[in-house]
Amino acid sequence: MDGIVDLGLGSMAAAYLLLIAPLAILLFLRVPILRESGIAVVRMTVQLLFVGFYLQVVFRLNRPLLNLAWLTVMVLVADGSIVRGCRLAPRRFALPLFLALLAGTALPVLVFVGPILRRPGILDAQYVIPIGGMILGNCLRADIIGLRQFYESIARAEKSHHLALAQGARLGEALRPWFREAIEAALRPTVATMATIGLVALPGMMTGVILGGGDPMTAIKYQIAIMIAIFAGTAITVFLAIALTVRRSFDAYGLLDRAIFRAAPRKTGDHPSP
Amino acid sequence: MSAALELEGLGVRFDGRWVLRGFSLRLDPGEKVVLTGPSGTGKSTVLRCAMGLAVPDEGGVRVFGEPMDGRSVWALRRRMAYVAQEPDLGPGTAGEAVRRPFGYRANAALRGNLDRLPALLERFHLAPDLLAKETSALSGGEKQRFAIIVALLLDRSIVLLDEASSALDADNRKRVTDGFAADASTTVLAVAHDETWGRFASRVVTVPGGRG
Repeated sequence: MDGIVDLGLGSMAAAYLLLIAPLAILLFLRVPILRESGIAVVRMTVQLLFVGFYLQVVFRLNRPLLNLAWLTVMVLVADGSIVRGCRLAPRRFALPLFLALLAGTALPVLVFVGPILRRPGILDAQYVIPIGGMILGNCLRADIIGLRQFYESIARAEKSHHLALAQGARLGEALRPWFREAIEAALRPTVATMATIGLVALPGMMTGVILGGGDPMTAIKYQIAIMIAIFAGTAITVFLAIALTVRRSFDAYGLLDRAIFRAAPRKTGDHPSP
Repeated sequence: MSAALELEGLGVRFDGRWVLRGFSLRLDPGEKVVLTGPSGTGKSTVLRCAMGLAVPDEGGVRVFGEPMDGRSVWALRRRMAYVAQEPDLGPGTAGEAVRRPFGYRANAALRGNLDRLPALLERFHLAPDLLAKETSALSGGEKQRFAIIVALLLDRSIVLLDEASSALDADNRKRVTDGFAADASTTVLAVAHDETWGRFASRVVTVPGGRG
């Protein structure tokens, strides 16, 4: 099989020409996201070009510490996105969420590059960075879903939480139903993807291996391994994210501290009502 | 003899305004006290502070002589039961809501009390097939009766009732008060407005609310 074909300026121009179709539809129907779509395409291009140039350097140097630093920066950026996405107080949440994300990404990446791929250098840029990025992206999405589900559900159903405490539950017992729901909500998209993968769409990693000239069966084995790694990573991240933030979010009485929400809308029942 | 429940100079502030201030009350074991007062004077807040579901800005709570704080509240809650005015029984069916507290480690020894459930359902005019109904589909009166049943099954020494029978008809309301009145050992602090509760109480206390 041929190796991957590089895309020249003409090829890229052809890709951008495809934009005519969605932009024409947006214009014709006056869908109010035309400007947003234009900005998104420009941002995507600039961001990816920047990352491409940077990764060329990182790949050329291939220094373990530099690769580790790049992964750490990726985790930090993802951490900020999660805190913003969940509308949580950054000072309280940034560190525990960073640790959860780091553990949820690092463990599957190390297993992938080590026992699965058996690479001599566990921090080899060619493997660690793309695989880390794929796992991290999924962890980020799952973390936002899980954390929002957990804290917003408790805030909405505070009476139910109080009832559990009043009935003698320890904090962990009182929070268990919401913990269960949050993990379910966070993992459901990954579970659904695993259940339909290959039937509905060919996933990114598999496509990449095939485009790179790999055998389809090799591509499938890579895809199976990465899906399992993503499933493990998201489960670890969301579990740790909730477990590590609970102590900072509830007071000594087991009551939810609403100051955890960055811009908490005041609702009836926020505080003891007369 | 130490009091079953002591509230000492309770003060709770919300949005810079005192919704309750300087409220004190002492309940001897077995005593039945009803709290009254106009809306907004902090009656529910008194119960929530007593149960450790709100932390007072001033004053404190003692349960059988033990002061309530972030450490002791967990054990003290296990000596009390609380029924809110509009109880949220949590997710699942009514049967799951009734059985859920007996899955908590603190209540493990009380699991046998569930044997009393059929008799309590009958006493409060609840059909057994309601246990299979989702809690979200129960009426306000059914939720209140299930919440009272759980409170009774937990065999607590102190029961805090926040307008716990407001959605019940006169007959069911009387069944609730008669049930608690017959139990001389249980201390009851109830927020209520109607006469049935007035007749049930050994003492009626008016909550003056906040001042400023």
